[in-house]
Amino acid sequence: MIRLLLYGLGGLLLGGIIHIAVILLLPDFANRDAWTSLGRFGPDGTFHLLPMSEPGTEPLPYLDPEMAYAACRFSLENGPIRIKAAMPEDFWSIAVFNRRGNNVYSLNDRSAERSDIDLVIATPVQMAQLRESPIAALDQSIVIEVPITRGFALIRSFVADPTLVSRAEAMLRAANCSAGLPSADTPPPADPDEKN
Amino acid sequence: MRLLIHLAIAIAIAIVVGLGSAALVLDRDRLFGAVTRGAWTAWPDSGSADADPYTAAILARSGEVPLGAGEGLAFAAEEDSAGQRLTGNCRYRVTGQTPPARLWTLTAYDGDGHLMENPARRTAFHSREVLRHEDGGFEIAVARTPEPGNWLPVTTTDRIRLILRLYDTPLAGGASIGDIAMPSIEKVDCS
Repeated sequence: MIRLLLYGLGGLLLGGIIHIAVILLLPDFANRDAWTSLGRFGPDGTFHLLPMSEPGTEPLPYLDPEMAYAACRFSLENGPIRIKAAMPEDFWSIAVFNRRGNNVYSLNDRSAERSDIDLVIATPVQMAQLRESPIAALDQSIVIEVPITRGFALIRSFVADPTLVSRAEAMLRAANCSAGLPSADTPPPADPDEKN
Repeated sequence: MRLLIHLAIAIAIAIVVGLGSAALVLDRDRLFGAVTRGAWTAWPDSGSADADPYTAAILARSGEVPLGAGEGLAFAAEEDSAGQRLTGNCRYRVTGQTPPARLWTLTAYDGDGHLMENPARRTAFHSREVLRHEDGGFEIAVARTPEPGNWLPVTTTDRIRLILRLYDTPLAGGASIGDIAMPSIEKVDCS
């Protein structure tokens, strides 16, 4: 009898371990998470305009129907990436998430103190390299260091009125998720906004 | 033989307890870091890099993208100010003041978190289009039948959920959320 109790206790302990393992590993195995859902919209490395959130056509759960969205899945394995986008004068924000959907960085138009997005995302190692050989052309960019190699960026743009949807969508469609990163040695090209 | 039976019992207990408790926790609202003001609850940590593992797991399962701390803060309500569950069977009046924010939106969802198709083609109000009283206060009617003024339609008779999103608000910057005025949700009547 005592032995059965001991086995029961062992079962409870093992149950606790299973609980912790399930919670910690679930984000890596979830198949309806934001990363996977965004993969449906097209290839990585470029921004995809998400359809406006309307009944029945919500691209992701609990998106604000008053906002237009564009998302880009990116990888930092081949170097830092640079996001460039011209944005409307009204409220916008951009958030960077890791592969598991945790927010690692966010910014709105007022805290950016400018009306366009010019964001360079680098890993800590790439950041150290950028500091060693600074690139003059990135002086105006916001350079952030994130401890991730894969993730996604989501831009929100407020649409005050349905008549402004097409304008917001046109600007989001033109957002560039892999803008050229000029090298330290060569002078920057005339137009760094190579279309991807 | 006894050993095998005991082992089987232990493993069965482990699986039931482990998976059962994980499922229970994940089906409930987020456990940690909830900030409740009146009828409204926000999870400010869910939009930061140090979200707890339960929040991360719940977000991964739902596919929801939280508002980043630099973007804003979302408050959800599933009950009215008297503590009773919000349903599409009743009419509600959302009145009062909102915390400081450059912009806010109020959106109605059904119990599963989906927007509701309605003839008025309205799923949300934002702070600049809402009709206001002379003192700057506002009143939004949440109901199935048309209402004068600001009418936020619902089409279900089941549970509903309201989400108030504050954009560019000092509340989201990690500072502690003190005594803030949130709009009240009053039940008018039920059908």
